[in-house]
Amino acid sequence: MAIATESLPPPGWGLEGSAASLLEVFPRGQLSEIVGPRSAGGSSLVTSLLARATAAGELVALVDGSDAFDPAGAAAAGAALRSLLWVRAGRRPDRACRSAELLARSSGFAWVVLDLSTDPTEPYERRLSSLGAATWIRLQRAVRDMPTRLVLHAPRHLAGSAAALVLAVARGPARWMGAPRPLRLEGLGSRVEVVRARTFPPTSQPSPRAKEWEITWRL
Amino acid sequence: MAALRRIGCLLVPRFAAAAAVRAEPALASRPLAVLDDARPARMVIEASPEARALGVAPGMTEAAAQARPGGVICRERVPAHEAAAQQALLEVGVVHSPRVEEAGPGEVYLDVAGLGALFGDEPALARRLVQRARDARLPTRVGLAGSRVAARLAARRAAELACIPPDADALHLRPAPIALLDLSLEMARRFARWGIRTLGELADLPGRDLYERLGPEGARLQALARGEDPRPLDPWRPPPRFEETRELDWALDNLEPLFGLFTECAEGLCARLAAQALAADRFEWSCRLTARPGETPRTVDGAFVPPVPTHEARAVMAVLRATLTAEPPPAAVTALTLRAQPVRVPASQEPLDGDRRPSPRTLAETVARVIALVGPDNLGVPVLLDTHRPGALRLEALQVPSSPLPSPPGGRGTETFPSLPAAGEGGTLALRRCRPPRPAQVRLIGGRPVHLRAAGLAGPIVASAGPWRSSGDWWLESRWASDEWDVELADGTLGRLAHDGSAWVLEGIYD
Repeated sequence: MAIATESLPPPGWGLEGSAASLLEVFPRGQLSEIVGPRSAGGSSLVTSLLARATAAGELVALVDGSDAFDPAGAAAAGAALRSLLWVRAGRRPDRACRSAELLARSSGFAWVVLDLSTDPTEPYERRLSSLGAATWIRLQRAVRDMPTRLVLHAPRHLAGSAAALVLAVARGPARWMGAPRPLRLEGLGSRVEVVRARTFPPTSQPSPRAKEWEITWRL
Repeated sequence: MAALRRIGCLLVPRFAAAAAVRAEPALASRPLAVLDDARPARMVIEASPEARALGVAPGMTEAAAQARPGGVICRERVPAHEAAAQQALLEVGVVHSPRVEEAGPGEVYLDVAGLGALFGDEPALARRLVQRARDARLPTRVGLAGSRVAARLAARRAAELACIPPDADALHLRPAPIALLDLSLEMARRFARWGIRTLGELADLPGRDLYERLGPEGARLQALARGEDPRPLDPWRPPPRFEETRELDWALDNLEPLFGLFTECAEGLCARLAAQALAADRFEWSCRLTARPGETPRTVDGAFVPPVPTHEARAVMAVLRATLTAEPPPAAVTALTLRAQPVRVPASQEPLDGDRRPSPRTLAETVARVIALVGPDNLGVPVLLDTHRPGALRLEALQVPSSPLPSPPGGRGTETFPSLPAAGEGGTLALRRCRPPRPAQVRLIGGRPVHLRAAGLAGPIVASAGPWRSSGDWWLESRWASDEWDVELADGTLGRLAHDGSAWVLEGIYD
């Protein structure tokens, strides 16, 4: 019997499948949160989301609260920049939150990413603390019943019970090529842990082993 | 009996060069090369006959063209000059015929059937068209025939004008190359494989067999090759003017009443656009300011591009309010004007599987409200510039696709659960840029950084790699050069440092 060759998966199919699974972790119509200190890999995870969503043809809005987004790096990661609306909120977390709320309410974007991760200037951290719990409740209500995924990237857990999913990113070892004297920075290891997952159906709860996994980000 | 169809073709050979000469008449009869605007290596896209005689050809670099003996003059292509030349060519057609079609840059068709009573026989009409185009400073060739293809062929082969008699199109078209039909690459390759090189060879193919292989497109091309052109002209109309002006009896020095008047203008404009099923993809505003007696009144103006074409007055006013609030007119205003650049937004089918496509109207309003929060310069689609300079980019307006966005892999039914990415899966390490780069103090030992102190960040450097040297624009005043280092601090922070020859800066943090 002849084998129908068309039924074989095309090259790279397996890779695409695993990439898509990362997108599916974040629930639609809910506020999700990625938290972690600097150089832990949180921004790389966000960039990876942007790249995969825009490559899938979805429209994405990035509200950049600390004006730190690097479009060249995102393009190198595979992001289709023409599908990315970049909002530079000028280190004003209140404006960034308000902008994200407006964009989430519009239902025009498949993803709205609110990046409040800090940079080395400390006054920003104090402004973050001034955002009240009502801010996160408002964001959660803005995206509720919408086809949008709202993702907050912050240095620490800010959204409280408003977040349906919280991923904590912990710093792994940096990888340098060359010993004993480093010749090139190869990348960074990250450990990502699901610390809160309110919307996962009980029947498909990830096993304890799958709730924590390692990712290697390469330069 | 069907009315006799007669088509005229106005053709401006080497249109970009002709538009440049029209804008700068001193270039006439000089060896001229028109360049594209890609820097730094600009290429010749068109050359005048005088320049071609000196060996200049499209595809040459600017330096190679200028190196030719004979003093070749190079000019950059100016889209505004080409638009003005195209408009002039269309106007030549419009004053002779009510039906004119714009076929492309420097190419216009007009319906010339029944114009004999006005302009005499066809050669007389053709001479008149040539003269009128020459008056508009456009060296134009004119061809008259029974179909577009034949008229274009006549114009291409004529020194100045040529007329193909009625019912003689097929005969004249037979020896013409098949490229005259503007074939797609795939179709051109297919005909080349079949050995079809002339329109006569295409016309002689069995029609049924051609239809079986190429479908309706094959039948259409064969009809054109036989001089049959049933498609009516797609008439060009002069663009309507969408502009609202308010002349004031007294000068306004307060923003709120000014906004009220602009709102009136925006509502009027948007109502007119909506009545004609149009939207606008660019708005321009201007305010005339008060002046002292004897002085010429000054004007301030600006323009903005909505994220999607719109005829929503609220969205227009949100942007205009933000713009004028950020930078109010420097003196009292005595008149104001708002203009819209109309575009036709085609109707599209709503998606059947939900609301994945953003509503352009809602999106335009949302983006306008976000612009009011963050300012018009802080929102858009990032576009990378063609340079290695770190962080070089510009922001452009978001263009929402009119067709539904494709579903993500797996479709909507797969979102029930949460499978996590495979262990060990990786991605690209992201850099969080410091804008502007933070000044840093770096201590070196043996030429390598060993300690960093910058705003909010200090400590010993435990690993480093570099320098990665880059430079650019050395032919401009804005030349730049830097040595970059990747460093790891003792607390695990990964950063990128740069030294431009005089000072250290922290470019960003890897995260």
